[in-house]
Amino acid sequence: MTPSDPRHETRARRQLGHEHYMHQPLFRRYEFLGAMLVVLVLYAVFLLPNTQRPSTGQWAVIIMFFLLVMAWVGTLTTDDKKPTWMGALAAVVLLFVFGWLFYRYSGAQWKKLVFVFLNQGVMEGEWGPLSEGLLVTLEIAILSAILGVLTGLILAVLRSLNNWMLNLVIIAYVDVVRATPLIVLLVVVYYALPYMGILMSAVMSGILALTLNCSAYTSEIFRAGIESIHAGQVEAARSLGLTSMKTMRLVILPQAFRVVVPPLTSTLVGLLKDTAVCSVASIVELLRAALQIQAWKANPTPLIAATIIYLLILIPLTRLSNRLEVRMKTRFGVRR
Amino acid sequence: MGEEHGQVMVEAIEIQKYFKDLHVLRGISTKVMRGQVVAIIGPSGSGKSTFLRCLNRLEEPTSGEVFIDGMEVTHPRVDLNKVRAEIGMVFQSFNLFPHLTAIENIKLAPMHVRGLNDKEAMERGMGLLKKVGLVDKAHTFPDQLSGGQQQRVAIARALAMQPKVMFFDEPTSALDPEMIGEVLDVMKSMARDGMTMMVVSHEMGFIREVADHILIMDGGIIIEEGTPAQVFEHPTQQRTQNFLSKIL
Repeated sequence: MTPSDPRHETRARRQLGHEHYMHQPLFRRYEFLGAMLVVLVLYAVFLLPNTQRPSTGQWAVIIMFFLLVMAWVGTLTTDDKKPTWMGALAAVVLLFVFGWLFYRYSGAQWKKLVFVFLNQGVMEGEWGPLSEGLLVTLEIAILSAILGVLTGLILAVLRSLNNWMLNLVIIAYVDVVRATPLIVLLVVVYYALPYMGILMSAVMSGILALTLNCSAYTSEIFRAGIESIHAGQVEAARSLGLTSMKTMRLVILPQAFRVVVPPLTSTLVGLLKDTAVCSVASIVELLRAALQIQAWKANPTPLIAATIIYLLILIPLTRLSNRLEVRMKTRFGVRR
Repeated sequence: MGEEHGQVMVEAIEIQKYFKDLHVLRGISTKVMRGQVVAIIGPSGSGKSTFLRCLNRLEEPTSGEVFIDGMEVTHPRVDLNKVRAEIGMVFQSFNLFPHLTAIENIKLAPMHVRGLNDKEAMERGMGLLKKVGLVDKAHTFPDQLSGGQQQRVAIARALAMQPKVMFFDEPTSALDPEMIGEVLDVMKSMARDGMTMMVVSHEMGFIREVADHILIMDGGIIIEEGTPAQVFEHPTQQRTQNFLSKIL
């Protein structure tokens, strides 16, 4: 058997594993863990109280049990000498134990929970208005996103011109808008502007407020991205005779784009969530539509439905933006 | 190597530069003839790079005048982009555009400054890549190239604008030793072709072989100048002798 023979290798590895094993502390050895598992099961069967509403003393017993389970699972998951599937299985077991304890002792009346929050009957026929609300949400979000990002980009490029008067104006704008809560901004736009003679529909005022807000944040994001590009890039481009604007368009912005994608996508995801604020200006977007059905049917199920719809849109969006981030990183220039 | 001394290609008159209170350039004046290769050497902090960068106003001279082929670079109302198009600059840290391939790096300025169309820019670019020996790397990105290859692409990029004069700011200082030769070879062939060059460098072998004129700077002034033979063999100033003894 040559040293590189697989059989020789496995035996050597097993020997080494055994030696390592003998050096392990007591609490990591399989015998101890197995014994502890038996103890925990006996604890659960004989010591855990049987009532729906435990007294304080009984709560102490329950919590003690859970802590012991956590310790047991902890030793398994933190041990890198055990196979990975063991740690994963232990983590799942922990979740199950938690769920089981919760179900057993929370006193929650599950049937009542479903009747109040997951009531299908209440939602019958209401999916129409809810979807209309969703359409309004999407309309506001998409328009504000496009306008906000464009405005932010323009502001950032204007700042790069280093004109002190222009900079003052832009900085003042950004500071004021960022310091104002979005809901206050919306209320000012919706309720106060008409007194100045500026009349617009509720939806337009919603879009305006969100655009202003978005533009302030994205201008800072773009500015940081632009400034993160090495001065040498600008020097090389200007030395070739490229104008400031051409340098920005052909050299700086394409590189800044990659830097800017993570904070930009998280801002846009935040924008979609912020559309809920528009419910305050009597815009019938998703949240307001849900609230209307809730008031009419006297049941909060529509709100849960709206929450689930938000999740269904936002979770894929965040996953997508993560994938985009990763793709940008592996494209160029990160390795050195 | 630069035999014809016809026109004055670069003229610097009493260039002064202050960085806040730091007096970096204390009145530099020099003339570079068409086709000449001028090397600028000296200890670090002497202001060599600052002086070179003042010539195309990457640094703004505090006072003084610069003329490139008769065009007054330091004029308050000069079209700086037009002037810079006639000056090629090669940097110590290459400064290639990482989001573009080698050939795209080279094509960018001719297309957007000289107005060449894609085909013409492509032809010119490939011709230059051939000259620097990197035709097969035309479609690779800078981060896939070695330092020496990147610098050669940077030189091709500067040459694509067909400038009247080329400035080199320590072109080989950031390179591993085995790659310095390939870049110096490209610079030598440019000198043979009659390009007017100003080179800030520490490569004494190259300078001795290729330079027509050497400026030795220290503490913001030119302490000595002359041909390589004059400066290296018969330096007149003590400071020059001190500096040379350390590097030769």
